[in-house]
Amino acid sequence: MTVAQRGGLIASVVLAVLGVAAVVGGIGYGVTVEGGEIGPGFLPAFSGGLVALFALLDLVGRLRRRTDLPTQAELILDTVEPVRTGHGGVIGYTPGDPGAVSTGTEAFHVPDTGDDLDIFGRTQKQRNRMLAVVLGLVVVALIAVQLVGFLIAFVLLIFVIAVVVEGRKVLPAAIVSVAAGAVTYAIFVALLRVPLPQGLLGII
Amino acid sequence: MIDNLILGFSTAFTAENLLWCFIGVLLGTVIGLMPGLGSTTGVAILIPLTLTLEPVTALIMLAGIYYGAQYGGTITSVLISTPGEAASVVTTLDGYQMAKNGKAGSALAISAIGSFVAAIISLALLMALAPPLADLALNFGPVENLAIMILGLIIVVSFAGGALSRGLMMAAAGLLISTVGVATGFSDARFTFGNINLLGGIPFIEVMIGLFAIGEVLHQIRMGADAPIRTRFRDMVISRSELKRSAGPILRGSGIGFVLGILPGAGSTLASFMAYGIEKRVSPRKAMFGKGAIEGVAAPESANNAAANANFVPTLALGIPGGGTTAVLLGAFTIYGLQPGPRLFETQPTLIWGLLVSFFIGNVMLLVLNLPLAPVFAQMLRIPYGYLYPIILLTSFVGAYSVSNNMFSVLLVLIFGIIGWIMKELDLPMAPLVLGLVLGPLFEKALVQTSALGQGSFLILLQSPISVVVLLFAVALMVGPKIAARVAVRRSPRPTRTPISDDEREDAR
Repeated sequence: MTVAQRGGLIASVVLAVLGVAAVVGGIGYGVTVEGGEIGPGFLPAFSGGLVALFALLDLVGRLRRRTDLPTQAELILDTVEPVRTGHGGVIGYTPGDPGAVSTGTEAFHVPDTGDDLDIFGRTQKQRNRMLAVVLGLVVVALIAVQLVGFLIAFVLLIFVIAVVVEGRKVLPAAIVSVAAGAVTYAIFVALLRVPLPQGLLGII
Repeated sequence: MIDNLILGFSTAFTAENLLWCFIGVLLGTVIGLMPGLGSTTGVAILIPLTLTLEPVTALIMLAGIYYGAQYGGTITSVLISTPGEAASVVTTLDGYQMAKNGKAGSALAISAIGSFVAAIISLALLMALAPPLADLALNFGPVENLAIMILGLIIVVSFAGGALSRGLMMAAAGLLISTVGVATGFSDARFTFGNINLLGGIPFIEVMIGLFAIGEVLHQIRMGADAPIRTRFRDMVISRSELKRSAGPILRGSGIGFVLGILPGAGSTLASFMAYGIEKRVSPRKAMFGKGAIEGVAAPESANNAAANANFVPTLALGIPGGGTTAVLLGAFTIYGLQPGPRLFETQPTLIWGLLVSFFIGNVMLLVLNLPLAPVFAQMLRIPYGYLYPIILLTSFVGAYSVSNNMFSVLLVLIFGIIGWIMKELDLPMAPLVLGLVLGPLFEKALVQTSALGQGSFLILLQSPISVVVLLFAVALMVGPKIAARVAVRRSPRPTRTPISDDEREDAR
């Protein structure tokens, strides 16, 4: 079972649990009011019930491995050319073939077989780590807003991502991040008068 | 009709509206051009910027981004075989081949011309169809409105692609998210967990920016960068014979695009695929398809533009968005204090007709911009994604903050960004979630009114002939495609092209 398949199962389970919780909550708010008309709890219970129901159906579907049916687009274009990979499933279409079709832009990327490289020679593992680092940096930046203010925190975020994560040169990265901050200041603070948090520093 | 047009022209032809229309289509072209930055994302990010503008000016600009992106998406599809927009995916098939044959100029020119012709045809149809539809919808009571909304949700789900259960699951999840906060007509705060920021509900823009902008950035980081392939510009002029060959595909593409675009949720992506598929079947030059046939560029490019305009028919006349971007635009209506729906044609004629006429102006601007300047726009592709995405992060978070002047919005954007990324990774459709979220409050209102009319019973839905017809249509849409697909597969004369059945898949493993 691939990571994506396991993730799909987990998502279905989580949604099913959330749906059931919404039903319970909705019943608590009152599904009907006096006279049998619907109350504030009706839509939460109704939609929660549907979420749970379809999440369970999806769970069953995923467990029966029916995730790889051709999409509508492929049916229309008759371009179903499954590529079988080491994972034992049909997970993508001929990499690099401009004739490959999907409804998303994903078809033009190589499916994640675990060892493919992008143009900078980064492996899937490295890119996964980049993603985690970027997410972590965003959280750090949001915390730093309280300290150095919104703009400074985000200018630093752009700079750090460009240099540390993307391996760009220091000087161009500095220019780009300061310029982005300046444009943001001009539009949002000077023009639209948005009071961006200044943090403890209180400079801008 | 003439009065309305005059009203529209006098609204759209002010210096301010012309300027914002131009900014909109220019930004739209650039946004459509950038892989990983689509029209939905662009509109979501830029809504905060428009809050100080007049509603009509703001909508003119945002709509300009939407149809401008349909032009821009083509440029990348043709030049580097990487569609900037999902609706331009199919253009890569023949457009990129044409570019490889040194005919990039012809491909770009025919798609600009085709897009323009399709836009004008579909705009005329939109202006002719939307007002009577709105008139009809004005007679609808809560019962019929409820039926229409059920239909809208079903259509979006059935066209969202992937498994039906997943689409329905996401639509229901959208409805569920919309119930957070104090509902209209009730005094109870629901699912707020004591957080006062949630009393007003989960705000729409924050969800959009999170799902579409942040989610997309996170997804792209994991996907890695594509190798750009550069093509030379030769032969920028299009020949007379090429124009002649493209006339049929452009007209057919416009028709297909308009019909599919009207159906809420079908959208321009499906329209472009359908137009290409049909063209491939009827064309006398079938063998050329996939090897650089100009018809294979003209048809889908016309179709996606026609569909983009047709999308506004249900959006404006019924208040039910046709696709992801129109759903975001509809959210923008509510932010400007406008109640979307059939009444808009009566209460806001200046806005509606000004907006519609601005489409015409915007498309003329796009044609003028795109015919000579496509190579210039292509230079934008030199911006490395390593710079682009941190800037998208900054713009998204600042935009979200500026809507409410509250760090809670920024937090929501991050949370929905992570949700959006997970949805992308797991291939869960976003359009149904967005539609559920937009329709949620209206849906609940219609539910409450219907149940009051029926004294607690929903059987009243089956007593109105209009709602019965609408609901039957919804059922047909849910079941029809499955039956049709089965019949088509069975009747397929080319067994080698038949999609592999489950049993065969299992055997092959």
